[in-house]
Amino acid sequence: MQQGLLLYLIFFPLAAGLAIFPLGKLGSPKLRDLCVQALPLAELLGALLLLWFQGGSVQLPGVCGFGLSFTAGSLRTLLAVLAAVLWAGTGQLCPTYFSHGGDCSRFYLFWLMTLGTLMGVFLAADLFTLFVFFEMMSFTSYVWVVQEGTPGALRAGETYLAVAVIGGMSILAGLLLLQQLLGTLTLDQLSQAVSALPAEQRPWLYAAGGCCLVGFGAKAGMFPLHIWLPKAHPVAPAPASALLSGILTKSGIFGVLIVSRYLFWADLPWNQVILGLGVITMVLGAVLAVFSIDLKRTLACSSMSQIGFILIGVAMQGYLYGENALAAWGTVLHMMNHALIKLVLFVAAGVIYMGTHALDLNDIRGWGRNKPWLKVTFFLGAASIAGVPGFSGYVSKTLLHESIVEYIHMLHHVGASAAPFQAVEWLFLFSGGLTAAYMTKLFVAVFLERGTQEFPPVKSYMSRGTQIVLACGGGALLLLGLMPNLTMESIAQWAGGFLGADHGHAVHYFAWVNLKGACISLAIGAAVYLIVIRSCLRNPASKRPYLNLWPEKLDLEELVYRPFLQKLSFIGALCGRLLASVGEVFVLIGEKILFTRAPARFQPKKDENFGSYGKKARRFLVEETFSFDLILAGIGLMALLLYILL
Amino acid sequence: MHYFLFLPILVPVLLGLGLLIAQFQDRRVRSFYIMASVLLTSVLSFLCIFLSWSQGMESLACTLVRFSPHYSISLRIDGASMVYGGIVSFLWPLVTLYALDYMSHEGHETRFFGFWLMAYGVVVGIAYSEDFLTLYLFYELLTLSTLPLVMHAMDEKAQYAGRKYVVYSLSGASFAFIGIVFLVNYGIGHLNFTYGGLLDPTRTAGQEHTLLLVFVAAFFGFGVKAAIFPFHGWLPDASVAPTPVSALLHAVAVVKAGAFAVMRLIYFGFGADFLRGTWAQTVVMWATIITIVYGSARALRTPHLKRRLAFSTVSNLSYILFSLTVMTSGGLVGGLTHMVFHAFLKITMFCCAGAIIHRSGREYVYQMEDFGRVMPVVFGVFTVVSFGLIGVPPLGGFAGKWMIASAAVASENPLAYCGIGALILSTLLTALYLITILARVYFPIGKLDQEALSQISDLSLAMRVPLVLLAAAGVILALCSNPIISFLQLVGQGQI
Repeated sequence: MQQGLLLYLIFFPLAAGLAIFPLGKLGSPKLRDLCVQALPLAELLGALLLLWFQGGSVQLPGVCGFGLSFTAGSLRTLLAVLAAVLWAGTGQLCPTYFSHGGDCSRFYLFWLMTLGTLMGVFLAADLFTLFVFFEMMSFTSYVWVVQEGTPGALRAGETYLAVAVIGGMSILAGLLLLQQLLGTLTLDQLSQAVSALPAEQRPWLYAAGGCCLVGFGAKAGMFPLHIWLPKAHPVAPAPASALLSGILTKSGIFGVLIVSRYLFWADLPWNQVILGLGVITMVLGAVLAVFSIDLKRTLACSSMSQIGFILIGVAMQGYLYGENALAAWGTVLHMMNHALIKLVLFVAAGVIYMGTHALDLNDIRGWGRNKPWLKVTFFLGAASIAGVPGFSGYVSKTLLHESIVEYIHMLHHVGASAAPFQAVEWLFLFSGGLTAAYMTKLFVAVFLERGTQEFPPVKSYMSRGTQIVLACGGGALLLLGLMPNLTMESIAQWAGGFLGADHGHAVHYFAWVNLKGACISLAIGAAVYLIVIRSCLRNPASKRPYLNLWPEKLDLEELVYRPFLQKLSFIGALCGRLLASVGEVFVLIGEKILFTRAPARFQPKKDENFGSYGKKARRFLVEETFSFDLILAGIGLMALLLYILL
Repeated sequence: MHYFLFLPILVPVLLGLGLLIAQFQDRRVRSFYIMASVLLTSVLSFLCIFLSWSQGMESLACTLVRFSPHYSISLRIDGASMVYGGIVSFLWPLVTLYALDYMSHEGHETRFFGFWLMAYGVVVGIAYSEDFLTLYLFYELLTLSTLPLVMHAMDEKAQYAGRKYVVYSLSGASFAFIGIVFLVNYGIGHLNFTYGGLLDPTRTAGQEHTLLLVFVAAFFGFGVKAAIFPFHGWLPDASVAPTPVSALLHAVAVVKAGAFAVMRLIYFGFGADFLRGTWAQTVVMWATIITIVYGSARALRTPHLKRRLAFSTVSNLSYILFSLTVMTSGGLVGGLTHMVFHAFLKITMFCCAGAIIHRSGREYVYQMEDFGRVMPVVFGVFTVVSFGLIGVPPLGGFAGKWMIASAAVASENPLAYCGIGALILSTLLTALYLITILARVYFPIGKLDQEALSQISDLSLAMRVPLVLLAAAGVILALCSNPIISFLQLVGQGQI
């Protein structure tokens, strides 16, 4: 049963995608739309059944040459369920979103195939299987980004693909090294193999882990490989943005988690690197989001920032070693919360885009004033991600924050300096504040302010399915946030097993100790909103009050990566050509020695035989060749020899 | 029965000559004759493989001409022969079916198919030869029999390409011949392929460096056909040949004959143990590494579709050569695996390219905007095989790359690690040069000439069937690759 279920989860969407593709082409779009709404629900049912039929694993020896193996349980099941939920949610939005024409059959094909491959990533029992599906996922999701076919989308697609392919190759290199070092890629055996590794091989392990980190980090949107995130989201269709940011980035995090947990458990340098990158990603994403005035780009930067929060959780697990429950829970829960929150926010953004066909805050200002449903659900999402107590995001952020505080206490206890971690804590709170600030900015602009343009009240601005999705998503956030001990802690207990978390202890989320952090954060947020956003980034007198201060010029891709690659390819081509001409020269000399120079013109005859040489008389061709010179030289030498001898 | 193994070589050559002499006037009779000849040859060839497999390798071995007690022209099938012979015998009929339709607009069909059949016999001869002399004989014959195919168009470009091809190939073969002569002098007294090498250690003592120098010369000599840098120049130019030639000869038969001969040279001539860890290995491995990167980088900068694919072949052939120069049994397995999968993928790609040229006359990538809509079947197939070649997992190219890379890692040669880097870089470049085509085709930029586009239609059934069959065969082969790889592992360990 379990085995069938696992195979169903992975291969059903792949097959379904291929099956509904001709449906759209053959002209029954209604049926296709129905399928798009129903198929992910069937998948969700399968994923939920995994909760009952725990465990179980499948081996498919020989597929792809080396065999694939799958297993379920704990964090894997949680992520699989989450993926199915997100697909089911966005599936309800899809038909209305694409109802304005465009070739969406292709989109659906790759949309469903990506679901299958993503399931493969989450349910993989060894790193090889994980890599196989990870690669497939990179390519199938590329089509999402370029779906609209605009120049901007194509360019973003280029970036996305380049990052994905470089990342994928990097993982491949890492896995090859790991296979050689450890002799196995099965997750359950990795820890043992690592502890058996001799010390002098340790640097190679770091190299392998670094390669994997590059690949997985690129997918997760970790600094400095985050470049695709702010570009791909605004141009991709809203259902795709929700998935890209909600769950595809999690596949990268999943990979980072596996590497950190199974290869570098409690390894100090490794955790320092992860922590450093996590902090930079978190702060950078939040700062960028404050400056952005594009709705979806703000949300994309926000995703990046949240990925930074999660990475800090990953690093703290390693630091806390035996007492990592808080960090592990925080990581797992923040992954889950972020997926749900981004589902709600991006679906809402999709509704806004369908109504206005714009994403610039100045153009959509005030559109949501008379739309209470949307306003409430967007508020739930915004409050949740900002970490307002009572909403789900508060719980996971508190856990992450507590894990830092706990480590500071540990350091104080042994008398070591905790200054770097105090800095991390403050940056953590500051980024939380920025989160609150930019979400307020979005909410105020879209739902509270009166825009220059009057939007007449529309009766049906979203379909019934979308309403249900938004209501369920928002409701879940509220439910999770209000009863954290009942809901979230049990989820964390269960999913944390994958990360080797201990049992931990119940946390009083609404005690002052824990509320304090959130209050500091929100206070910073309010200050930033009022001082920076209201007075510096906004010009109330203008018709377009939100100033576009997006730092276009400071684009890492344009400044560093593209010029670097261009220079590299130029130098490579130059060297290549120079080297290649060596061969040509050899051949030219050879031709000169062996052959006469091309005689006259070559005139093809009209019948089916070979052509023949033209009428021009052959001159003494030997005169023109090097061999003739050689013969002359030889004769000369012989004459000399004869002269000397005689 | 004694000369049965000679039949798949002799029959197509004679039938090809017959075609040249008979000069059929009726197209349908001619097409039937050609197809029947090719199928007959393939049946014979597979029968030989099957008989050797079931009754032991020696059952069909035969000697055609004996020069001396030890040197002869003789045929025998072993594991590596089965791989190469099997690929060729499977692909030849499919591409012939495609070519019959394709060549109708190129003209001079009788001449073309006459040499086409002869080349088939010669290639089978390369696959089934038992010793270096036989290999060398058929290797030279291959150059001569395929020259008219390359120069088919007979315009200036084709002449130039043909001349270049002949100069490169013949001079390469002469270097290879030097290698064979040294094998005679320092060998154990015969030239039959022997797994592990046929050098006599008592004779080679003290002469190692001379032998290594000769090996390098012979490697590059055979490598010319496998388009090793810097002797790859003929291959991209040869893409002026009609597409079936590019597809079958310049993606599979001829170029893989080069790789096959290199494999014979390393593993069955000089011996991997003799070469491993020497400066000669370093030199040839560097050459393959440079070719891998160079080929794919040039492909990226080439807008002409067939030339781009030709550069891609240059790069991919060096994957095979790189794997062979690892000089371990794993390397041999990796090389053979990539040989199989690349054959299927690249031949399909060339057939797609030919289909595009056949239907629209456009040859440059930038002219193909929005073709994905007007030619859905062709580009559907092209997309699948592109991803296969890039190495997206379930499809073929990945297995080959993984085997090569793991063999390279296992060899613990520092230069081989470099090679893995090159492999990975090349994969990245492969993704770029193929996906830029796909992006053009499916996501057009700028204004489209709808009128011109509306006149282009998808393929006729006769060309569509082999195309889809080829792609399907490639995908099925990749998905069920386990038996093939375990077979190749037996070959790699010298057990077959």
